[in-house]
Amino acid sequence: MNKVLLLTKIMLKNAGSSLGSKKGSGWKTLLILLAIGVGLIPLMAALVVFVAGLYDGLAQIGQEGALLGLGIAGTSLAIFLLGIVYVLSVFYFSQDVEHFLPMPIAPGEILGAKFLVALLYEYLTALTMIAPIFITYGVKSGGGFLYYLFALLVFVALPVIPLTLAILLVMVFMRYTNIGKYKDRFRLLGGLIAIAGGLGFQAFVQRQTSGTDSSVEQLQQMIAAGEQGLLGIVTKLFPASKLGALAILESSTWSGFANLLGFFAIAVAGLLLFLWVGNRLYFSGVMGISESRAKRKKIDEAAFQKGIRPRSMWLAYADKEWKVLWRTPAFFMNCALSSIFFPLFGLVPLLSRQDSAELLASLSGWLQGGHMGGISLVVAFSAFVVMASTNSTSITAITREGQGIFLSKTLPIPAGQLLVAKLIPGTLLSVISMALLVAEAAWFIQLPSLFIILAVVVGIPGILFVNLLGLILDLQMPKLEWGSEQEAVKQNLNPLFSMLMGMVTAALCIVLAFSLEASLLQMGVGLFVLFVLADLFLFRLLLRKGPSWLEKMEG
Amino acid sequence: MIQLRGVTKSYNGTIKAVDQLNLDVPKGEIFGFLGPNGAGKTTTIKMVTGIIRPDAGEITINGKNIATDTLEAKRQFGYVPDSPDLFLRLKGLEYLRFMADIYEVPQQLRKERIQQLAKRFDMSDALGDTIQSYSHGMRQKIMIMGVLVHHPEVWILDEPLTGLDPKSSFTLKEMMREHADSGRTVFFSTHVLEVAEKLCDRVAIINKGKILFCGTFPEMQQHFQSNHSLESLFLELTKHE
Repeated sequence: MNKVLLLTKIMLKNAGSSLGSKKGSGWKTLLILLAIGVGLIPLMAALVVFVAGLYDGLAQIGQEGALLGLGIAGTSLAIFLLGIVYVLSVFYFSQDVEHFLPMPIAPGEILGAKFLVALLYEYLTALTMIAPIFITYGVKSGGGFLYYLFALLVFVALPVIPLTLAILLVMVFMRYTNIGKYKDRFRLLGGLIAIAGGLGFQAFVQRQTSGTDSSVEQLQQMIAAGEQGLLGIVTKLFPASKLGALAILESSTWSGFANLLGFFAIAVAGLLLFLWVGNRLYFSGVMGISESRAKRKKIDEAAFQKGIRPRSMWLAYADKEWKVLWRTPAFFMNCALSSIFFPLFGLVPLLSRQDSAELLASLSGWLQGGHMGGISLVVAFSAFVVMASTNSTSITAITREGQGIFLSKTLPIPAGQLLVAKLIPGTLLSVISMALLVAEAAWFIQLPSLFIILAVVVGIPGILFVNLLGLILDLQMPKLEWGSEQEAVKQNLNPLFSMLMGMVTAALCIVLAFSLEASLLQMGVGLFVLFVLADLFLFRLLLRKGPSWLEKMEG
Repeated sequence: MIQLRGVTKSYNGTIKAVDQLNLDVPKGEIFGFLGPNGAGKTTTIKMVTGIIRPDAGEITINGKNIATDTLEAKRQFGYVPDSPDLFLRLKGLEYLRFMADIYEVPQQLRKERIQQLAKRFDMSDALGDTIQSYSHGMRQKIMIMGVLVHHPEVWILDEPLTGLDPKSSFTLKEMMREHADSGRTVFFSTHVLEVAEKLCDRVAIINKGKILFCGTFPEMQQHFQSNHSLESLFLELTKHE
């Protein structure tokens, strides 16, 4: 057990260096944490208000207890879906297993430590969701000491089951995709299938519960109707959540205690199942994960000629960045893939709702209605900006290079050209996202062509703005010392910061749009001018200051 | 040639990694840069190649100042770092093309050089595979090839022989000799004193940021009035520091 804790500590420590670079950037770290905290407050506040409203409604029909079940089940679902990504990261792409294998550590201990690391991430996720629910419920129902104690205990056991499910799903995929010489591709495919499985599940749940959106009344009706709808399905998938809810509800009685014991017993059973399956599947799936295939065949003359054709420096550098981005599984999953997945995420609710045609028809009518044109354009623009800001390609452009950035400094490429090359992949990916989203929207909603053209014309400067800002930020605080590529992109707070800036930009634009009441064309011209000017300013800043920022990075 | 004048670099304002360093690496010579771990070798090489900036002093490569005439100075040299684990996701040929693009080597010339280097290092069959699939020695070889594809005047090599098989090691030493004999410069750091003794025309021994000795091996023996090997002289020199 001691070794498990020791390993966990080491794995977390490797991850922990993401909190800022080593040279006295304490205040920057603090600033980021503060910004994230501030960013989370509105979300949690909204959840509290929502839960309080739901409680009042349900209390009238004496069904308020269902709220806890829903909260636990919903959190379990979120943990399961996020767990798929965490597990891929922690168990498969962090590449530290190969360092641990030669040490006198039992495989089970490595597994246990990895589980604890993933569990810790899940606790942080679960906390932001379940704490507002438990506390709001406790305050509303006047819960005593035992209520909070039982709630805390349920919280402790809560992530184990969904995390175990996620692990089992991923392990099975990774075990049977880790085959032969095409391992690299198959492994990526395995990851994709696991994510797609998660998405498909989400679509399935939504289709089952079609007609229920998140409005309070409908949710109340659904819960009141008993085991139907979302609650039914989610509690069926995570049957233990019912035990958890009952444990908290009856915290002052023996039956509550029995339920709590039951909840824990299931968690322990999950843990044992994980260890049993893990010992059989994990190591055969992860071994040789960093090896890659080689043909060792001479390149034929034509391919050789083509393969050495001269290009300009910046193009050569941008091409290198692009290739590395697509060929490194960790970068691919976190940077390239998200730009394709995000627009597809939007499709899930559209496709899974039975009444989507109606909804879309009314939406398209709304879009074309006179004075709403300007606001709709801003909404589209904001979607592009937010999507670009969730893509971590530019915000990790320097970080991804790691120690290699120092070798780049010995090359006779002008710093300006290098920075422009760094800007290209992220911008290109965001443009692809935008194109996908526009194509999707044009397919489902009858959009006027003027609207589409304007959206793209203002979208490009918006995307460039986010990418410029990201690159400039990464130049300020790159995280160059990472052990695995996974660490560079995943255990790094800069992407969160970029996301926040994108959201703030979008929010400001929307607020401005509502207060200005401009027409479609006016809004288009206004946004275009504003962001082209901002881009010019940032671009000048990048070219004038960027080289000296690069210069200051010393390894 | 490489010239260092009064070069100083300190970390955290106090610890002097390199202290008032003066060094002349002339043309037509293989110059070995020796020193125990943490002596300041890597810091010096990083300053010469433009990775870090000295606090004081001046560095020129073939007369081009690395601080003021940066790009021109960088075109003068080719640098092989000690860790070859870079550009792992690129295929061998893609990496060589990248280097040829950055150093603006014309099409015909790059073709000839790549083919010639691949043959000499026995890498022709590996160029289509990713560098990740290479062994340590092959990675070292592809890094060296990337540097040589632009025929730099000055070679700067950080522990270049580590991990090379006997044949490649022999080839590289042969190439270093040819390069120096054609009137150009080879500057390399190493821990392997036997290699330095046999290969270098001149060595500098650095410890705690200062040059303890700079000259030919016979000069060194004369200086210490002994006929001991470089190894024992080196140990003697760096022992009491």
